Amino acid sequence: MELLTQTFLLLKKDLLLEMRRRESLLTMFFFGTLLLFVFHFSFELVPERVAQMTPGLLWLAFLFTGTLGLAQLFEGERDNHCLEALLLSPLDRGAFFLAKTCFNFILMVLVEIVVIPMFWILFNLQSWEVVPYLFLVTVLGTVGFCVLGTLLSAVTLKARARELLLPLVLFPLMIPVILSTIRCMEAILRNGAIGDALPWLRLLVGFDVIFLTVGVLIFDWVIEV
Amino acid sequence: MHLTVHQLAKAYGLLWALRDFSFDLPPGEVVALLGPNGAGKTTLLKLLAGLIPPTMGEIVLNGLQFERGTPIQRAAIGFLAPGEHLYENLTVRENLHFFTSLYKKREAIKQIDTALGEVGLKHRSEEYVVALSSGMKCRLSIAKWKLLEPQLLLVDEPYGVLDGSGIDLLERFLKAESRKGSVVIMASHHVARLLNLCTRAVILHQGRLIFDEPRQQPWDSFARAFGEFLPHETSWSS
Amino acid sequence: MVESFKSSGKRKGYLGALALIAILVGLYWGLLRAPADAFQGEVQRIMYLHIPSILTAYLSFFLVFVGSCLYLWKREKRDDILAYSAAEIGVLFTALTIVEGSIWGKPTWGVWWTWDARLTLTAILLLIFVGYLMLRSLIEEENRAAVSAAVLGIIGFLDIPLIHMSVYWWRTLHQPPSILRPDKAPWDNIHPAMLTALAINFVAFVLLYFYLLSHRFRLGEMLEEIKARKLRGEP
Repeated sequence: MELLTQTFLLLKKDLLLEMRRRESLLTMFFFGTLLLFVFHFSFELVPERVAQMTPGLLWLAFLFTGTLGLAQLFEGERDNHCLEALLLSPLDRGAFFLAKTCFNFILMVLVEIVVIPMFWILFNLQSWEVVPYLFLVTVLGTVGFCVLGTLLSAVTLKARARELLLPLVLFPLMIPVILSTIRCMEAILRNGAIGDALPWLRLLVGFDVIFLTVGVLIFDWVIEV
Repeated sequence: MHLTVHQLAKAYGLLWALRDFSFDLPPGEVVALLGPNGAGKTTLLKLLAGLIPPTMGEIVLNGLQFERGTPIQRAAIGFLAPGEHLYENLTVRENLHFFTSLYKKREAIKQIDTALGEVGLKHRSEEYVVALSSGMKCRLSIAKWKLLEPQLLLVDEPYGVLDGSGIDLLERFLKAESRKGSVVIMASHHVARLLNLCTRAVILHQGRLIFDEPRQQPWDSFARAFGEFLPHETSWSS
Repeated sequence: MVESFKSSGKRKGYLGALALIAILVGLYWGLLRAPADAFQGEVQRIMYLHIPSILTAYLSFFLVFVGSCLYLWKREKRDDILAYSAAEIGVLFTALTIVEGSIWGKPTWGVWWTWDARLTLTAILLLIFVGYLMLRSLIEEENRAAVSAAVLGIIGFLDIPLIHMSVYWWRTLHQPPSILRPDKAPWDNIHPAMLTALAINFVAFVLLYFYLLSHRFRLGEMLEEIKARKLRGEP
């Protein structure tokens, strides 16, 4: 399909550039692990409170790390006005949106793969068997974050004080994702399975699907030189 | 490519960058777009490229309205600005590969080496663009547009960065495009060279069109208009 | 609907008078005619302001959505004016809702603020409105600002039901909505006089909202007219 071919082409280019410059990934890794250390010294994570506090702390780390990635999302297109080159071309704007979303998603997932086990180690948590399920839920939440984040990153591209404005507009709109993932993660940590939190999972998937569709359709209006 | 522009205008806030601009270009026309800094040349080029939306007026490409631009329309437009639209951290070859894939030019992908050879960059195909001089980047842009085959080619001030052989290369490329029926619009200060190349001259002054005539010998009207509105142009030498 | 805002001063005057009458009637009904609540006493009466103002805040965002959609579709300046005017008045009404909720909360729960569903949702709505208006003002080029804000308006509106659901599921401290309970018809749950008071006040708030909106809209139109004339070079 044409849309996917173009998406893949752009994504390959972004990943190639990232591998060479490694600006975003390294800062995100560093920031994520730094936050974990800060949490370690700030909170006493007693065993009874694990299920309650872990999801929130993890999501704090991911939100801040993800926002870093979002702020840099279109940086690669700034040199030599490459954004103009892309908008000038027959590139489908929906493919542009998907490519940027996937790019940020890949970066965030790479960070999560490291941060979640590190959290377990730093806080001496025992329940390693739930980590894969936790990771799956986190991935779904990350999709929501990246989809909405890419949209808003593009919407705020020309705004002054962008570093402040982007979180300000993004975080309230992210609430369904944050609440859903946290409830699902709590359920997994407590019972080892989704169980009662199934409605939350449905809400999360619904959010992802809705805004992925909206993004592809609306990106044409969002991005301009 | 037949390009018609009708009453095109662009305002930024309360300032008009371009007003009341109209012209009609048949296929093969090579237009010298002249005017002092701030006259609106780059604004016009960007409007024609579809990069900025007009405040008023319309653009018609081959009989079809051009607003946001369909993919087919955009595929036919080229914008050559020295040093621009190239990824610094991709190699020369990777840049060409990326853009030819983006424009879906399957055949062109196989011609990359030939194009690089024609612009004299074959030996530097694996270098990163960041390592190239501005003259070489301009040659790379020429190679890129050779491969992408636009029907409307917009060129913004290329003469500053190119050396003698580079200029010959560019002019041969533009003449070839014109022969194929493409419309070429080139903005520059280097009037003398442009006049030899072009088939038509257009002068912009403070956002307005003040001269639009096909080339003729002798060109007294041009000399008059030029002298009147661009008295400080020193590169003009007959 | 948008045409009605391009009304003369006279029509706005009528709207204003109507709003004033409705407010007075609503106050009368709410404070005097309707009986005091069985459990909460007189303090409950603030509901007659609180519920209509939150409904008006939601209506406001709906108008932002409509204005945003129309603007992206037709690019007519007046749709953009509608959107941001609705947002500005919306911020006002939303902030009002929070203050009222706080005033009600102190005697009822003993605290000025709690994270119950309704208050939280209102606070989130306020943040979204503020974000929208900040986005508009932080982008220099006007058309770009209008387009970006319109996109944000649409995204925000589509997200609000999801935010509503998730916050409600999360917190159920607040009373279950006494009017909108699914098993009974609205008029079975509360005293008819209370319902009337609520309805009148809702109408009053909507009228007040549209009155303020029409003024703000006219102001926006006049500013645009000034800009357009300057652009054309007229004095």
